[in-house]
Amino acid sequence: MTSLSRRTMLAGAGATALFGGTAASARIDPASLTPMVGPGYRPQDPDERGMWQQMARVEEEIAGSNLLVQDPALNRYLQGLVGKVGGPATSDLRVYLARVPEFNAMMFPTGFAVVFTGLLLRMRDEAQLAGVLAHESSHFLLKHQLRQWRDTRRKTDIYSFASMLGGVVGGAAGYYTGNLDQLAQLGTILTLLRYNRQLEAEADALGIKLIAQAGYAPLSMAETWQQLIGEIELSAAVRRKRPDRGYSIFADHPAPRDRMIDLTASATGLTVPGRRYDRGRERYLAAIAAIRPTLLDDQVKLNDAGASQYVIQTLAQDGWNGLLRFYEGESLRLRNTPDYDARAALSYAAAVAYPDAPADAWRWHGIALMKAGRRDESHAALQRYLALAPSAPDAPFVRQMLAS
Amino acid sequence: MRVRRHALLAGISLALAACSGGPNGLGGFAYYSLVRPNRVVAVGNGAMAVVSPREWNRASRSSFTDIGTVEDWTLNGPYLDSISFVSGLANDKRIIHQERKADRQVPRFRATMTPPEIASLLESLYRIEGGAIEWRTLNLAPRPFLGAAGFQYDYEHLDSDELWRKGRAVGAVIDGRLYLIQFDAARSHYYAAALPDFEAMVVSARRR
Repeated sequence: MTSLSRRTMLAGAGATALFGGTAASARIDPASLTPMVGPGYRPQDPDERGMWQQMARVEEEIAGSNLLVQDPALNRYLQGLVGKVGGPATSDLRVYLARVPEFNAMMFPTGFAVVFTGLLLRMRDEAQLAGVLAHESSHFLLKHQLRQWRDTRRKTDIYSFASMLGGVVGGAAGYYTGNLDQLAQLGTILTLLRYNRQLEAEADALGIKLIAQAGYAPLSMAETWQQLIGEIELSAAVRRKRPDRGYSIFADHPAPRDRMIDLTASATGLTVPGRRYDRGRERYLAAIAAIRPTLLDDQVKLNDAGASQYVIQTLAQDGWNGLLRFYEGESLRLRNTPDYDARAALSYAAAVAYPDAPADAWRWHGIALMKAGRRDESHAALQRYLALAPSAPDAPFVRQMLAS
Repeated sequence: MRVRRHALLAGISLALAACSGGPNGLGGFAYYSLVRPNRVVAVGNGAMAVVSPREWNRASRSSFTDIGTVEDWTLNGPYLDSISFVSGLANDKRIIHQERKADRQVPRFRATMTPPEIASLLESLYRIEGGAIEWRTLNLAPRPFLGAAGFQYDYEHLDSDELWRKGRAVGAVIDGRLYLIQFDAARSHYYAAALPDFEAMVVSARRR
């Protein structure tokens, strides 16, 4: 089973995902950590050489995946950003952007990272993204994957790795309905594996030091955790579940909150009073501008109502626009009750008042008006849709709606 | 609680079941039965019938779905091609079984849905349960179906197994119920190879 072997390789070699960690431990002072890896680092012993050989094959496979986002400018931007916060390994790190609508990123032991598009959607500015990349870089700089791999290999003496993976996959299938197989499944597996809390705390501590050195607001890393916690809580609340159950990423452990508290404390120590920090918001929005509608679409269409609502409202803290109002409407419409239909209609109506409303907003605005019996207004909206997107794939159907 | 999946998504969910040995795993016995060609065959709950131009394999409904109005056929196995029949899904019913508390919910069918909303429902189904990463609408146009004013929806999707698949759904809402025949297959070769069968079945479809 090739897909399983790929996962086994990846997980077995201990790629460390952004969201791991279990038991709480004391905060680590960022000043106490220094990179163990210098420029042009090469594997040191037979264990590490073997791991690098495996990883070379994994990277080749990932690099050729058609789930990668090909946008050259965006990839250059990510590569440049990891270069700013990669410490001594700056020129050796590689970033791959995979189209997976999950909030995650992971670093592999040879210095390449996979960032999921779901992460880009949720970042409000460059400082937040820099924090995630710095955290991931730190896993490489501190040789965490090697330590994790040795630890995993030791544990396989107790129970076989394959059966552990089987249990994880089976467990995930029980309550995780999105079967984002392969790359995404891999992410699920990685996040379900309990990584060593000590390693995560180290990566947080070195990561925050790296972004502070690069001139980013140190508090941005804690904010990312706060957003993640808020999203999980709202997702659970909408489904009337406890936030610590039933979601693959944070099943039953308090690590996110602990890590947010530790990062806030570290940020306080690293923030220079009176200094103005550039959050890089404009730069970040410019870099993702072309892909942002896709990022929103991928998230909203998964119909995790609470999560989508939280993400949209968080992004809207920096200002509403036609795109965000439209996807707010989509999220409400997919909640699929007459009450939410009425609220969706309001969002579509609000969206089309912005000059940047996507053409689709006019289509759904028109349909909502039609269902409300407002025929003339509906026709005007649908005509506007056809004018904006004359070759839309559903134009034949919309023309029929206008004719009837 | 068992998580049951719709066989129209079986290509993807089978991979998971096979890997996990979970409750969806197939025993391999008596799962499929043969559909005889050129005969009137009742599908779903029996409210719709079609004539197939050649032999297809009909998936047993008990293993995968508890939705009585949905039935799935395949020619070469569900990874490669499948046809699903929805024979009068009632208002507020799901096209697939889902736990009420699942984070990601496939919308329920509602009698007031317009074809763009039904198309959107199908997209959600594939994104949520089928692992579709990329989804492209190719066409949504009026098309008579079962003697009613219906629609034809064409789409293609890249799934997380990195295979592009392509599909066509022809349906109509009649007396508040959804009647639909949907074909989904690997975009290379298999879609074109079985499309004539699908078209013949759509033309032959009758309500009973």
